[in-house]
Amino acid sequence: MIELTNLRKEFDDLVAVESLTLSIPSGEIYGLIGPNGAGKTTTIRMICGLLDATQGKIQVAGVDVLGEPERARQYIGYLSDFFSVYEDLKVWEYLDYFAHAYKMPGSEIPARVSEVIAQAGLEVKRDGMIRGLSRGMKQRLGIARAMIHRPKVLVLDEPASGLDPKARIELRTLLRSARDEGATILISSHILTELEGFCTSIGVMEKGRLVRSGRLDEVMLAVTPARTVRLQWLGEGRAQIQAGLGQLAAVSELKLSENEGEFFFSGSDDELSRTLAVLITSGVRVLSFREVKQTVEEMYMKLSSHEVM
Amino acid sequence: MMPIWKNPEFVRHFRAELRSKRALTIAAVAVVIAVLIWLGCWGSRASEMALMHNQAAHLGFTAERLAEMDRQTLIVVWFNFYRILMYAQLGVLTFWSLFSCAQSISGERERKTWDFQRATRLSAAELLTGKLFGEPVLAYFIVVCCSPIALLAGLLGKARLGTIAEAYLLIISGAVFLGMAGLWLSTLFESRSRGVGLIGTFGLYLIFGFVVQARESNFPGVAALSPLAGFIPLFDEYAYFGLPRIFGSPVPWVVLSLLLYLMFGAWLALTLLRTLTKDYDQMRSLSRWQAVGCAAFLNFTLYALFVPRTLTTWDSFTKLMVGINGFILFAMGLAMLTSSEKLRVWWRTRKATRWALFAEDGPQWPWLVLSAAVGYGLLVWGLFAWKNELGFESAALKAGLVEFAVVVVFVTRDITFIQWCRMTRMRAPVLKGVLFAGLYYVAAVVLTIVCGVYSYTLGRYFSSLLTPVGAFEPGPPNLHFPAAVFVGMGIQLGLIVLLEIAIMGRLRPAIGGAVPR
Repeated sequence: MIELTNLRKEFDDLVAVESLTLSIPSGEIYGLIGPNGAGKTTTIRMICGLLDATQGKIQVAGVDVLGEPERARQYIGYLSDFFSVYEDLKVWEYLDYFAHAYKMPGSEIPARVSEVIAQAGLEVKRDGMIRGLSRGMKQRLGIARAMIHRPKVLVLDEPASGLDPKARIELRTLLRSARDEGATILISSHILTELEGFCTSIGVMEKGRLVRSGRLDEVMLAVTPARTVRLQWLGEGRAQIQAGLGQLAAVSELKLSENEGEFFFSGSDDELSRTLAVLITSGVRVLSFREVKQTVEEMYMKLSSHEVM
Repeated sequence: MMPIWKNPEFVRHFRAELRSKRALTIAAVAVVIAVLIWLGCWGSRASEMALMHNQAAHLGFTAERLAEMDRQTLIVVWFNFYRILMYAQLGVLTFWSLFSCAQSISGERERKTWDFQRATRLSAAELLTGKLFGEPVLAYFIVVCCSPIALLAGLLGKARLGTIAEAYLLIISGAVFLGMAGLWLSTLFESRSRGVGLIGTFGLYLIFGFVVQARESNFPGVAALSPLAGFIPLFDEYAYFGLPRIFGSPVPWVVLSLLLYLMFGAWLALTLLRTLTKDYDQMRSLSRWQAVGCAAFLNFTLYALFVPRTLTTWDSFTKLMVGINGFILFAMGLAMLTSSEKLRVWWRTRKATRWALFAEDGPQWPWLVLSAAVGYGLLVWGLFAWKNELGFESAALKAGLVEFAVVVVFVTRDITFIQWCRMTRMRAPVLKGVLFAGLYYVAAVVLTIVCGVYSYTLGRYFSSLLTPVGAFEPGPPNLHFPAAVFVGMGIQLGLIVLLEIAIMGRLRPAIGGAVPR
């Protein structure tokens, strides 16, 4: 759905984006992470046709953004990191304006406006002036605006910055509804918890370069090949655990304390299940045995050199 | 392109500005003000009429004569009322158009809403028309409210329907033209500054107001750029407004105004369509060929509007036209400035590009020379066209050539310097570059004056060395250019080479790193 080929952008004597090649398939929720100044916003603005690339090719839904920017725009919904809305319009007027600006068929517009207003949870504010909305509501209105023309690609630059926790949850719900409508979402953020459990794929940018990209689990696995497993037990069992796990090739970095322990496991799910069986049959009273999922933040900390943070 | 009433940008402004309560209030206020103006017009004549009635017997006026005088007075009252209403509409609509449009794009940039408009499917032309009529929609509404009253007043004041139509044509076309000028101005600012906007708007508005004074100059047609040139004769038959001329043939003011608005408006529209949807750093008003074309157009227009009044010799005509061309070349040079990014790409690919020196993103000087050559060609044509009025000698060709050469060298140096400023990381490099260049000329003038105190010859020498003034001093019959003119030209050429080397030094490969947001 989004194809970037050898993309490069220069500002004066700085290279903001360099040799960026990226392919985001349809239906993905792709999180672009990186510190401030890594080149995320520049990349996003180039994808949306707002900034000309110095070099390279951008395709969205098969349309060359640099060659046919106006045609490409019908497939893209865009929300920038800092934005404001037209305060002197009513909520429905604002969405109606953008529906017309995206040249949607006139007959579809009233129904679509009502639909996105409902998705954004702004029904009670439909006829209210925008200047009366809270910040979270304005943010949801901004996303509703980006979704109004049913874009195939939704490009969101730091959509949750400055929002309170409740507004963030509402934002996630809204983005999920966009995903359910079939949109491919590219979302940039430097607040990594924002992307946790939401993105299907991830890319890490540093100093204008994409240092890692792929499906979330693949990237996690590539960064930390072994899984971390944590267990707890009751009573005496430390010696049995030491003996039982110590002999397994898939287990490494075994650390045990009084009644709990942790180890790296490099085998399959089946092998992990058999490892638990070994412990139980050896008489260990296992209280809990679970894989500790690595967070995006931890993964990022491993990847990032933090030179520009 | 969609009709204006369906243009989303126009509809947005219409909805935001003309909510029913506000619209009703504005309409009511417009009517009240109109009534007050009428009362004022009536009051100024009422006392005069009352006096006439009181003295009727003494003056020997019959009842019929008095009734006729009353009728005539009423016509005058209505005409004065109509005239004031028309001037008020002209003032409100043209100023409002200029003021609101001059803050349009910069305001959107500042509010961070501009990218959303650029990201929609609205074309540059649709955005342009939407903003042009949408931003001042309130002023248009005021005109719509006033127009029936003005029409009625005009008819009662015995104004011709054609005259009223002409006046409205001037009001609307003037407002559209000034609105376009305002929009162009607003694209130049990265953010809105109400103070700067207000000063800029007032400045531009005053220029458009005062340009009407050009009707007494050698280019009387230029006055038609002000709607007042066509407007004043419509309401004051005694105002001295001789008809302007195109290549010596008289044309009505209204026609010339419309023609100029159409031609200059087309250039403004071209510039806006090129830049409107571009990112601020990537804007360039004109392509290189368009800049050459614009220089040719401006020259051609001036020759067409020329009327020999104070300029009666080929020598003074040549000097004036070369001087004007200096400013035209400077403006075209500014429009040709290249972003650091584009210049770098040109530098990297120049060896693989044919005619790289004339490339769109390459250096400006080949195009400035080309523009000057076109300007010189048109000067020669102009001299031939006006030879009966100005006389013609072959020396004119030589004088024009040398003067053009000196001017283009100085302009190229200034533009190359401003391009170098753009390669540095200074803020507002173009503005600062222009100011520094201005400072240079101020310093040169001061030095000339100081030297002139000691010795007139020394002063002239320095002025010829440091400014293009020396090239304009020699006149016929001894058309002898002092050596200092050519030495000065040589120095400037050396400076251009140094500046080009400095620019090349900054074209080294870019480095990776953080992006300024």
